[in-house]
Parts: sequence; structure tokens; C-alpha cells
Amino acid sequence: MTPTISVSNLSKHYKVPERDGGMKAAVISLFNRKYRTVKAVDDVSFNIEAGEVVGFLGPNGAGKTTTLKVLSGLLHPTSGMVNVLGYEPTKRSHDYLRQVALVMGNRNQLSWDLPAIDSFELQRAIYSIPLNEFKKTRDDFIDLLELKDLVNKPIRNLSLGERMKMEIVGALLHRPKVLFLDEPTIGLDVTMQRRIRAFIKEYNQRWGATVLLTSHYMADVEALCKRVIVIHHGHTLFDGELNQLVTQFSSFKTLGITLPDPEVDLSQYGEVLTRDGARVTLRVPKAKTSQVTANLLSDLQVDDLTVEDTPIDDVIDSVFTSTKEAK
Amino acid sequence: MNPIKLALTYLRIGVLNEMQYRINFFIQLLQSFISVATGLIGLSLVFGQVKTLAGWSRPELLAVMGVHLLMGGVIRSIIQPNMERLMDDVRNGTLDFALTKPADAQILVSVREFRFWQLVDVIVGIVVISIAFIQLNGTLGILQIFGFLSALIMGGIMLYSVWLMVTSISFWVIRVQEISNLFEGLYAAGRWPVGIYPSWLRTGLTFLVPVAFAVTIPAEALTNRLTGTSLLIALGMTLLFVVLSRGLWRLGLSNYSGASS
Amino acid sequence: MRRYIDFYLATMRISILEQIQYSVANYFYMIGMITEPVIYLVVWTTIARQQGGTTGGYTVGAFAAYYIIWTLVRNMNIVFTPFGWEWRIREGQLSMMLMRPIHPIHSDVAFFAGWKFVVILLWLPLAAILSWIFKPTFDIRWMEVIVFSLAIWGAYLIRTMLLSLLGMITFWTTRVSAIFELYFGLELILSGRLVPMTLMPVWIQNLSNYLPFKWTFFFPIEALVGNLTDVQLWSGFGMQLLWIATGIFLLNIIWNFAIKQYSAVGG
Repeated sequence: MTPTISVSNLSKHYKVPERDGGMKAAVISLFNRKYRTVKAVDDVSFNIEAGEVVGFLGPNGAGKTTTLKVLSGLLHPTSGMVNVLGYEPTKRSHDYLRQVALVMGNRNQLSWDLPAIDSFELQRAIYSIPLNEFKKTRDDFIDLLELKDLVNKPIRNLSLGERMKMEIVGALLHRPKVLFLDEPTIGLDVTMQRRIRAFIKEYNQRWGATVLLTSHYMADVEALCKRVIVIHHGHTLFDGELNQLVTQFSSFKTLGITLPDPEVDLSQYGEVLTRDGARVTLRVPKAKTSQVTANLLSDLQVDDLTVEDTPIDDVIDSVFTSTKEAK
Repeated sequence: MNPIKLALTYLRIGVLNEMQYRINFFIQLLQSFISVATGLIGLSLVFGQVKTLAGWSRPELLAVMGVHLLMGGVIRSIIQPNMERLMDDVRNGTLDFALTKPADAQILVSVREFRFWQLVDVIVGIVVISIAFIQLNGTLGILQIFGFLSALIMGGIMLYSVWLMVTSISFWVIRVQEISNLFEGLYAAGRWPVGIYPSWLRTGLTFLVPVAFAVTIPAEALTNRLTGTSLLIALGMTLLFVVLSRGLWRLGLSNYSGASS
Repeated sequence: MRRYIDFYLATMRISILEQIQYSVANYFYMIGMITEPVIYLVVWTTIARQQGGTTGGYTVGAFAAYYIIWTLVRNMNIVFTPFGWEWRIREGQLSMMLMRPIHPIHSDVAFFAGWKFVVILLWLPLAAILSWIFKPTFDIRWMEVIVFSLAIWGAYLIRTMLLSLLGMITFWTTRVSAIFELYFGLELILSGRLVPMTLMPVWIQNLSNYLPFKWTFFFPIEALVGNLTDVQLWSGFGMQLLWIATGIFLLNIIWNFAIKQYSAVGG
């Protein structure tokens, strides 16, 4: 079966004018423009099947948003092939646009002064959604996100979290088959983030939509994505399951120890990460975990001991630092 | 802190800031040029039909245009930007900082913005006035210069005071953004000597929004129309407006409580 | 097509509902805007009176009529500005608009059209007040009313095309305010905004016949307050349609280039 999204050797290069500072260079640049090529995305390939929820991870400027924009048709690739639902996104055919949605956290589409319900009506007209379908979808969403009392209030009277919920509903009313989410929970409080994530998960499960999301928050990715693609400097560093990312790149475990005596020095047992009064966290190579644990318990009086995988954030960080050093 | 020193400091920062955008000089020059060009076209259309307009000859009306341009430059470089920013601060509740600085708040909010390149209009205005003056074969006596400068300064102070008063109203009535629009429209009326307007409008343009004092009176000084009486009235009006605006400002400030979202 | 009508109606509805909430702001804006024609009116009626009641073929009452209808036509002329395009690109709003299966221009035309309905309604009392103050003389036939009602929308569409075309420039450079100022200066002279075109020197009048500006301003006003024959009225409207078609044609071409530029650089 053909994949819903297929990207082959995608590259997106920008020519950026390069100029030294100072008056003289400025004048020279008027006549002789020097350019430098920035490779935002460099030879990236992947396929995504229908119904998958895939996370794009990477630091700022890694190429995540660029890739998303190419997939949604906003940017032309410099080279390579992109195919979504059988369409070439850059052609931006109306049929294509009716089946996808791009949601960027912080962008407001709904009318500020009017109740969301009015803006939803406009969305119906924009996407030519048949009336019965529209009503059912809209009411389903309102139930799922518990918005019944809020849809008739002007958007300006809602809190930030409530507004985001409305924006997401508005963005999905046409039941797109493919969803591009760029930092969907940015700026929201923890409860709101959870609600939005739950909704996206529900949307994916109920209607089998394919979801691509970029995020800074590991919690987003952990909650929603089985598969992650790690992008750095425009290249894919990793494309696979999230827990594999942890095992592949992390050869450490984190030990959390609570001692009655806060003055004890634990540096002989492993790398001390944090020290917060009586609680210390240690980083220990995986292979040595049981040995070190045994030593700790026999040498010292320990109130509490936990053994955990390295937090994914740290794994990602170490992936990027290691690649940086490797360069 | 010494208010003069404060004002000069802000001025310096404003200038340094804007000097970075040298292209704005050319943009502003172009805008002034277009302003003058359309003004001249307007004048030639008028004088294609008549020899004088309400008793003003062509070079005299050119002088009015020059004063209008000059004063417009002053308004758009100092008065308007500061008052608009003040309106924003009151609306967004961000005025608190101004109250915690060890300087008179009114001075602070009146000088912190400075659109340097708008001064181009002042220069162009002076050029137009000079040309008009030459065409008039006018005499440049001490009395005239004094009359002109004092009328100009008083007119400027009056305009500033009125702006401040209206902006102060935003302490009570949050939505006064559109006032800027109204002001610009009313100021545009100053392009012509206020004598041509119907009496009710003339009154408004003299005593409510003193465009007459900002433009017509200084132009009268240049064209030998200015009477001592007018100048005295101008002085009285200036003092009145200064006192009123200061009072309203302080009243508003004391009532001020940060607007929260 | 049916879905476009649906879209236009839905957008206009939103726009009307929004603008009703801003009635006060709209009024302030309109009053500020009225100062411009009042100034022109006062200057020209002063001249007319000095000349014994008429100048350039316009009586005092005719000038009043011209400049009062001017205020409605001016309102109809207000459309999405090139500066708005600059903002749109900069803030990323354009990207969101491009993701919809409908051309952004439709959004603009529909949104402002809805707004115009509110404006026309709000304008009526203002027109009454201005008439009471300045005593215009009107000599109106039914045909003139019909063509005028069409012509104000024609003017709206022509100006939308013109300013959208200008707005396209912002896809390539942001240093455009100078170009726009130049454009607005030309428009002021050639459209009938400053004075009725018949008071302009003949060579300017001839020039304006070949440009779209006069059809956005002078023609609609003259249709109502002037003495055009039926033939002149309808051929004038025909010219408006011609300019709208030209605008659409040019816009389509330039838009393709603009989008190519946008999708190469990402705004």
C-alpha cells in the first residue's frame, strides 16, 4: 500500500546574503552580493503510513518546521520528491488543501470579537463541508473538549487555554486526513497541554488521521508518538520507535538516592548530577548499575533508592552534543 | 533629575536609534516632496480661478503651507508619538514604570519617543516659508521674527497641551485611539487660513483644537497681519491650556490604577 | 459557483457582526475622514462665492453635493492596504491563509464587502448632518441612482485590485512605503479626490481617462451629482467593468510569481 506521506531525498537550501559589518562592506555589497547556502533540510527521506502519529524532534533551526512547511505545500523543495495523499503539496490543489490541516501554536484564525460558533460556521463555508457532517463533527468536538458553555462566548473573553481549544476545533472541523502540528501546546499550562494531547490522540484513533507533530516538549512526543524522527542540521539522525531511541543513545541509568546524612560524598560511585539537600542523583553506566547499587546499599545507610532510565530530554541533549563533538 | 537634561538624554537616544535607519531619511524626504507637490498643485488650481482667496495672495498662502508643514513635522516627531505611546500605556496598564522613576511623570511620557526623521518636514517647511517670503518681498524686521517665533512656540505648546488633555481622558475612557485620527483630520484644516471656514468651525479650530494658533497666527506674523492683540490672546490661551492640561493629567494620574487583563 | 457564494455570504456575515460591535470606532474614523472633503469644500465654495456663485461650472450647492457624496465613495474606496500585505507576510498570517482551499483575495473582498454594508448604514446620518450644514443642491434621476449604486461597488473592486497589485510588491521587498506614498500622491491628483476632474487642466483630464483612478472616485460621484446622459452613465460603468477585468487578469499573473517567490523563501 502506498504510504500516506512519502518523502525522498528532500532538500531545502536557502541562499542567504553574507556581509561583513561596517560601512565599506555595506557599500561593496551593493555591487557584489555574496551569498552563502544554508541547508535547512538536507537529503531527508521517510515514509509515513496512514494513521501513524510521528514526532519530529530537534533543536531550533534543525529543519523541523521547514520540513513541515514543505509537506503542507508552503515551501518548494530545492530537490527531492514529496508526496502526500497522492498529491504534490506544492501544487496546492484545492482538493489537497481540503484534506490536510496545518496548526501552528499561537496563530489565531478565529474571529476575536465573535463567539467561536460563528467562526466555525465560516470554516464550514471555507471547506464546503456538507451541513450534516459539519454539525456532527462540530458537536462531537465540542463534547470531547467540554466546550459547550464556551462556544457562545466571544473569543476575547476566553482564557488562553480555552482559546487554543477553540482554535484546534476550528482547524479540524473539515476532518483532515493529515494533520501537521507545529508546537501545538506551546505557551499552555500543564492541564491544558494534557487536554490538547488527549484530543489529538482521540482524533487520530477515532478517525484514523495521520499526524505529524513537532514539539519542544518531550511530554507531547511521549504522550502521542510511537515513532520519532530526530532531525539535526537538516539531517535525520534517527527514525524509529521512541523507546529504541532511549536504548540506542543512552547507555546510562539514573540513580536517585535519599540519605539521612547530606554531607556524604558519592562521587566515587558515579557521576553526581544533582544534589538537593538529602537527595542526590547519580549517573551510572548501565552495565554497572547492579554493582553500584549493591555497593551503595552495603556501604551507606540509604533511606531511599530509585533506578530510572535517563530522561528522554537528556537523551536528546546527549544525542545532539555527541553529534556536535563528533563533527 | 533635571527635566531638561532628561529630555536631552531621550533626544540623544532617539536620534542615535533612528540614525541607524538612514533610508528613512529618503523615505521621509519623498513624503515631504509629495506633500509639497500636491500642495502646490492645489494652490495652482485655486489660483487658476482667483487672484486672492479670502484676502490671502498666492505667496501668502504658500507661507501658510510652509508653516503647516513645519508644525506638522514638530507634531509628528515629538508630540504625536509620545501621546500615542501614552495612550497605549494607559490602555495596557504599563504606565506604572513611569510612576516609579524619580522624575516628573509628565516630562517622562512627553519626551521618550522622538521620530527624528520627521524633522525633515520642519526643514522643508522652512524652505517653503523662505521661498514664500522672498516672493512677498517681505521685510524681515526684529518685530516680525519675534512675532513669528513666539506665535510658533505658543502654538506648539497649545497643540501639545490639547493632545495631553485628550490623552488624559484615556485614564477614564479607555478607547481613545481614534482620537489620533480626528486630530490629524482637524490639523489638516490648518493648511488654509482659518478665516475661510464657517464661523462655527473657525471657533472649534481656534479654541478647541488650536490649529489657528499653531498655523494661521504664525503665518499672519510673516505676512504682516499679526496684531498685538492676537499675540496677547495667544499668550493667554497658552497659559490656560498649560494649566488645564497639567491639571487634567495630574487628576488622571492620581486616579490611575493599572488595567489588568 | 455555489461554494463561492456560500463563502462570501459566510465571510460577510462575520464581518458585519464584527463591525457592528465597532460602530463607535467606525464613526470616529469616518468623522476624522470627513475633515478632508470639508476642507476642500470650504476652499472651493469660498472661491465660487468670490466669483459670483459659480466657478469651473460648479455652483456652491454643486460643490457641496460633490464633496458630500465624496465621503461615501471614499469609504467604499477603503480596502486592504499594501501595508496590510506586509504585515500579513511578516506575522505568518499569509501562511495560514494559503492553507485554505480558497484564494486569499476572496477573503479580503468578502470581508471588506460586509464591512461596507455597515459603513453605508452608518454614513446615512452623517450625510444628513452634512447636508443640513452645507446645503447641497441635488438634481437626481432614477437612472443615476441605479448606476451610482452599481458604480460604488465597481469603485470598491477596482481599488481592491489596484491595492492588491501594489501589495504583491511586498513579496519581494519590505522597503516599499516610498512606492506606496508616490502611488497615493498620484491617485490624489488623478482620481477626482482633490477636486472634480473637470476643474483640472485639460491634459490631466485626458491622462486620467486612460488610468483607472478616475473610475474609483470621480465617476461614481459624477454619476449621482453630475449631469451625465444615460449613455455616459452606462458606458462609464462599462469602463469600470473593464478595469476590474484588467485588474483580475494582472493580479492572476503577478500572484503566480508572488507565490513562487514566497514558497522559495518562506516569507
